[in-house]
Amino acid sequence: MRFLFKTDYEDDIKLFPHSGYLYSYGLLIAVLLVAPYVLSSYLMSQLVFVCIYATVGVGLLILTGFTGQASLGHAAFLAIGAYTAAYLQQFNVPFPVYFLAAGLLTGIVGALVGFPALRLQGIYLVIATISFALIVEEIMARWESVTHGNEGMRVKTMQLLGTTVPRDGPTFYYLCLAVLVLTIVGTLNLLRSPTGRAFVAIRDSETAARSMGINVALYKVKSFAISAAITGFAGVLFAHKLSFISPEMFTLQLSIEFIIVILIGGTFSLHGAVLGAIFLVMIDPFLTYLKDDMPGIIAGVAATLGAGKERAGHIQDAVAAFASANGLKGAIYGVIIVLFVLFEPLGLYGRWLKIKLFFQLFPLYKRATFKRQKIYVKSERNR
Amino acid sequence: MSKSLKALSLAVSALALTCLPAAAQTKVTNEGISASEIVIGTHQDLSGPIKGWGVPVSNGMKMAVDEINAAGGVQGRKIKLVIEDSGYDPKKAVLASQKMVERDKIFAMVGPMGSPTVLAAQDILLDAGVLQLFPLTAAEFTFKFDPAKPQERLKFNNLLPYVESTRAALKYMMETKNFKKPCIMHQDDEYGKNVLDGFNQQLTAMKIQPASITSYKRGASDFSAQVAKMKSDGCDLVVLGAVLREPIGTMAEAKKLGWDVTFLGATPVNVLEVPALGKDVVEGLYSASGFEIPYEDTAKGKVKDWLVNYKKMFSADANTQAIIGYNAVMTFAHYANKAGKDLTGQKMLDALESGDKFQDIFSSPPTVFSKTNHLATTITQVQQVKNGRWVLVKDNLMF
Repeated sequence: MRFLFKTDYEDDIKLFPHSGYLYSYGLLIAVLLVAPYVLSSYLMSQLVFVCIYATVGVGLLILTGFTGQASLGHAAFLAIGAYTAAYLQQFNVPFPVYFLAAGLLTGIVGALVGFPALRLQGIYLVIATISFALIVEEIMARWESVTHGNEGMRVKTMQLLGTTVPRDGPTFYYLCLAVLVLTIVGTLNLLRSPTGRAFVAIRDSETAARSMGINVALYKVKSFAISAAITGFAGVLFAHKLSFISPEMFTLQLSIEFIIVILIGGTFSLHGAVLGAIFLVMIDPFLTYLKDDMPGIIAGVAATLGAGKERAGHIQDAVAAFASANGLKGAIYGVIIVLFVLFEPLGLYGRWLKIKLFFQLFPLYKRATFKRQKIYVKSERNR
Repeated sequence: MSKSLKALSLAVSALALTCLPAAAQTKVTNEGISASEIVIGTHQDLSGPIKGWGVPVSNGMKMAVDEINAAGGVQGRKIKLVIEDSGYDPKKAVLASQKMVERDKIFAMVGPMGSPTVLAAQDILLDAGVLQLFPLTAAEFTFKFDPAKPQERLKFNNLLPYVESTRAALKYMMETKNFKKPCIMHQDDEYGKNVLDGFNQQLTAMKIQPASITSYKRGASDFSAQVAKMKSDGCDLVVLGAVLREPIGTMAEAKKLGWDVTFLGATPVNVLEVPALGKDVVEGLYSASGFEIPYEDTAKGKVKDWLVNYKKMFSADANTQAIIGYNAVMTFAHYANKAGKDLTGQKMLDALESGDKFQDIFSSPPTVFSKTNHLATTITQVQQVKNGRWVLVKDNLMF
């Protein structure tokens, strides 16, 4: 195990605490950069959705994970970003301009939502954000001159620097990846600045934060605005990826998906957003893959275990019939989430840290390492 | 970061090189056709908000595939149907379509479900040269195509569009029953908007002012405000751009107020569930429709066998949705058969556009496409609920 010897404050806030980080993340980036040349466009599409969901996840983590303000209204922020892009695109506004405009507008709306939300805590804040999302959904359906109402809007293929960027091509993937990486780096930077530390202080104890001179109201509004702006950026990419947007896409269900992203991934680290997004986007195609291939595999196993050809065929049909039962995928998905919430509240990233530590300390691993020590924090957060 | 920027610029330049001008010829895929098999795909909502449509449609499709394969297939080739669940989520529909194009190598997408889902995934199919046949949404983008864009020729639909069917049914009702003050209550979404458009277009053509226009949000169950408003506006005909529960709720409300008025539903109202759930409340309800709904005790011949078979296979009564799913695959098989023994994508497209007629077993209006028209029919019927059953009032309607 490596022990880091920190001699000054700069050591404490380094983005890469030691060279191992550089190598592992460098390798990850390299793998992600060659991915389009190796993977099929089906898998690339999944990666693009992972990038978009992870970007929203990072935005939501700033608000929920680091400032302690829950939100079930992020689908509305995504919608505002998406509609801004679709609307401005009609007037031949170039991509960089409407991309920034979408983020800016969503950020302003986020700040406006932040003000009334200042007085609300916990479940009441959740209710307020849900109402906000419903209002936005209603506006999208009614404001026909801008949003085309329930007919929805076509989103044209992206034009960037004079070239066409098709939504299934490698360039679009690189763009989504770049947005995600920039968002993560920017957020890491934010979190090691006074603003970020103020966010965390508010999360852990509002009273303590206030007594240290932090302007709680100001920082909460800031957190809302930053979180919304990031989601707005993701909304532009989302609109381009789907090539069509309508109000019925941005429902409460989508907001819940975003919360699931960070709950499954882990709410205490940005890794959680990425891991959660991978889970949320890829679990469905993975279950589809199992549905298609498991019957054949099981029949193969049965055949090698001595089942006759006919019997193996029967087994294959039976498994196939079971695997393609309506709603089975949804049920499995739900069970996985329930199990996570029950047995791994720290999420996928928490699980990864535990596994890593287990091997680093082998055979001296103690479960109590991850027990929560600061009981007061827990009580404040559940207020 | 410089590394990724470099790769980005490399990718941009590589893309610029490969961007050649589009060829005028429509590219149609030959994937999915082997000596023994034709692979077709569909995405349905099997677990989401409209699974009441997705499940019976997919049942109907499965039944058609079984029937065709039992009879020896299409020119000796068995049909293999790949069904994926989209849950009415456009993201899942996009991924499912890519999966079917790449992994399953489908030859055609037959009967995919829903407007946002079909529209979000459409380019993937067209770019790959996969035919998009008979989606379960009557929206214009599923059949209108731009002759300048050759890939758009791959879109065909055989569903009766809402605008046209509403116009035809409304015209018939207005002319024969002499209504003076037509009103509409429509669902607040894309489908309801289509019905409203048809209503408005027809009244404009007939130079009549609508007496009242009201709407409701999808999933609403209380219609007292809308009904009271329409009553006070003096409506004598109410067009319902509604789906299933709403016609029942609205008519129950009208009965409660003692308001005697005629109701005319758009095509989605013409399903078995409406009289089955509404009972006496929906007696006398009119509806636009595409074909007659068969009942097991009065049906004859092939239709009767079909109903019995369906019940045997899925332990449920067949409904309109199942018929639409069944017909989608049957129509595909008809044209694939016409394309001949050495089936290719191009031959399939030619067969579809040849003007050859397909007649289903339910005596719907015949399906015909041409090089300029990829919508099968706009011929509409009007049916009415009498003694708990849908009964044909008038067919062969146009506006």
